[in-house]
Amino acid sequence: MFTDEKWSSSKNWFIAAVIWIIIGMSMGLLTAAKQIWPDLLNNRWTTYGHIRSAHVMLVIYAWLSMAYVGSMFYMIPKLAKTKIYSEKLGNFSLVFYNIVILEGFFALLDGQTSVIEYGEFPLWVDVQLLIAIVIVAYNLFKTVGQRTEKMLYVSLWYFLGSLLWLPLTWIVGNFPAQWIPSGVQQGLMGWFLGHNAIGLWMTTVGVGQIYYLLPKLTGRPLYSHQLSMIGFWAIATFYVWNGPHHLMNGPIPSWISKAGVIPSIVLLIPVWAVLANFWGTMKGSWAQTRTNVPLRFTMAGTIFYLFACLQGPLQALPSVSSVIKFTHWTVGHAHMGPFGAFSFTSFAAIYYILPKIVGREMFSKKAMEAHFWFSTVGFLVFAFSLWIAGVVQGFAWIEGVPFLQTVLMMEPYVQGRAIGGTMMYVAQFFLAWNMYKTIKVAKQEKKQQALHQAVTA
Amino acid sequence: MERKPSAVLMVALILWMFGVAGTVILPLFDQEINSATASGELRNYPEDSAEAKGREIYIQNGCQTCHTQFVRALPADTNQNLGPVSQGGDYKYDLPHLLGSNRTGPDLMWVGLKYNEDWHRQHLIDPQSTSPGSIMPSFDYLTNKELDDLVAYLMSLKPTEERLAEYKKEREEQNSMNDK
Ligand code: HEC
Repeated sequence: MFTDEKWSSSKNWFIAAVIWIIIGMSMGLLTAAKQIWPDLLNNRWTTYGHIRSAHVMLVIYAWLSMAYVGSMFYMIPKLAKTKIYSEKLGNFSLVFYNIVILEGFFALLDGQTSVIEYGEFPLWVDVQLLIAIVIVAYNLFKTVGQRTEKMLYVSLWYFLGSLLWLPLTWIVGNFPAQWIPSGVQQGLMGWFLGHNAIGLWMTTVGVGQIYYLLPKLTGRPLYSHQLSMIGFWAIATFYVWNGPHHLMNGPIPSWISKAGVIPSIVLLIPVWAVLANFWGTMKGSWAQTRTNVPLRFTMAGTIFYLFACLQGPLQALPSVSSVIKFTHWTVGHAHMGPFGAFSFTSFAAIYYILPKIVGREMFSKKAMEAHFWFSTVGFLVFAFSLWIAGVVQGFAWIEGVPFLQTVLMMEPYVQGRAIGGTMMYVAQFFLAWNMYKTIKVAKQEKKQQALHQAVTA
Repeated sequence: MERKPSAVLMVALILWMFGVAGTVILPLFDQEINSATASGELRNYPEDSAEAKGREIYIQNGCQTCHTQFVRALPADTNQNLGPVSQGGDYKYDLPHLLGSNRTGPDLMWVGLKYNEDWHRQHLIDPQSTSPGSIMPSFDYLTNKELDDLVAYLMSLKPTEERLAEYKKEREEQNSMNDK
């Protein structure tokens, strides 16, 4: 029933991922539109709260996570110089994972939510998703187990760590509420997931992708193996302590706050180590970004990663937090990692890997260019609208401007965000169309070739 | 270690567990967040009460995506007159917690102090009628019963009389200090 074809699971996870980016981002755009026209599509199923939750869960766990798994189903066997432990299991886990995501999607539209941000699916979905993740991790661990290349390249470290951390972190964050002794305790557990779904899954797989792609795309060796090790262990050590800063200045004891804030600032070390390594590898290759779209996506991703990681520690400073927390700023920041940094590197991964799998280059270079420019310009419009909005809003609250008036003040920025968001959304149709064409044409070409061979033979 | 995936995984697991111990396990032993304040007791709704059901409706309709319940000792909150600063023990029975992360709408920690039932009902059915230009969606699709429960929940979001009196006194002192 499930195919055993070489690289089929990688390809199929990518296809599913791109279908979900379209669905997930349409939820995001609808959320943005509802902040302009509050009664747009407002009913028991598609009320604002349901759509917003569905957007967050779908872009993180459907689009981005599936793109990550697709990348790993290609990169891990390549690095381990072996084949996937089981393509069949890979394809099975894809179908299962997608069924679970669909269940979660409908549960959210039905108003079933566990409230925990980045873990909003209800418990019955959480459990199934955990099983799906474990099946994926098992398959990939087994693949590493049968490797013929003894040295573990740094990307493998990141992938192994992430595949271990995600299921564990998922359990902590989604722990059933009735077994938790207090609301704040649950808040801490929830933000442990909220932060580490980003820190120990999204960031770490994404960084692993970049470590894989950069040497391939530039044809140059990694700048420093040493530095990559320092970066890895520093991320593993400090990221996991960051959850509490989400409740900063709030109802948590000050010692917990400090336990969260200090590591947030120390995180600048691994970020510097990782980026120095990326940009060291790029030395002399920057000119290539003019023509090489996957490389350009990767480098733009690293630059957005830098911005995200400069913002992060800054926001963890109590004084800065006291202005921007709860404002639109946070929403802007929250898109920087998942979209600006790691969706970009996943686009690069798709553009690099898909041609290798189907045996033909991407159908349209122009569509890749359009994808890049719409994504980048759209994101900048989107993010700057939200950042400016957040600062204006934050200071207005401090000055005691009546709340309703601050809502009215936000109108132009909220519109700017929706315009940027529309561009980001449109961009993804170039990706989907290009992928569809590439796969289809590659199939036709293969058929013709086979025919040709049959005739000449 | 560069040849041993199991060693990488072991160390990765240990580092992860340190983080859990520090930010998840240790707080379990903290009195401040694990014993209820008097105002926290007020949120210990009996099962099947209108307030408990209203709280469910609040969650099911995603109010927490636009509203926090989280007052800080900061100018942004005191100048918006949000009420007493919230303490860990206020949330003892708040499960799942509704702290929130985004204020598209105002904080609702103590919103029970601000309006009466009729206002809430009117506002939920047609937010723009009470708050011109509001971007809160209408909840007119809720049944009458659901609206009753939701309003009961919102009205219950209050501190105790003592806490409120204390808060008012503090504010007056601060204001008179500022005047001088
Ligand atoms: C799209 C975001 C959004 C959602 C979802 C939302 N609100 Fe609001 N809410 C607002 C905004 C904006 C205001 C401020 C303007 C106003 O009074 O309508 C507000 C104001 C309020 C107020 C008045 C607070 C005050 O201090 O004046 C209450 C009470 C309230 N909302 C309750 C709810 C409830 C209950 C729900 C869920 C059924 C809900 N809101 C869902 C955006 C939202």
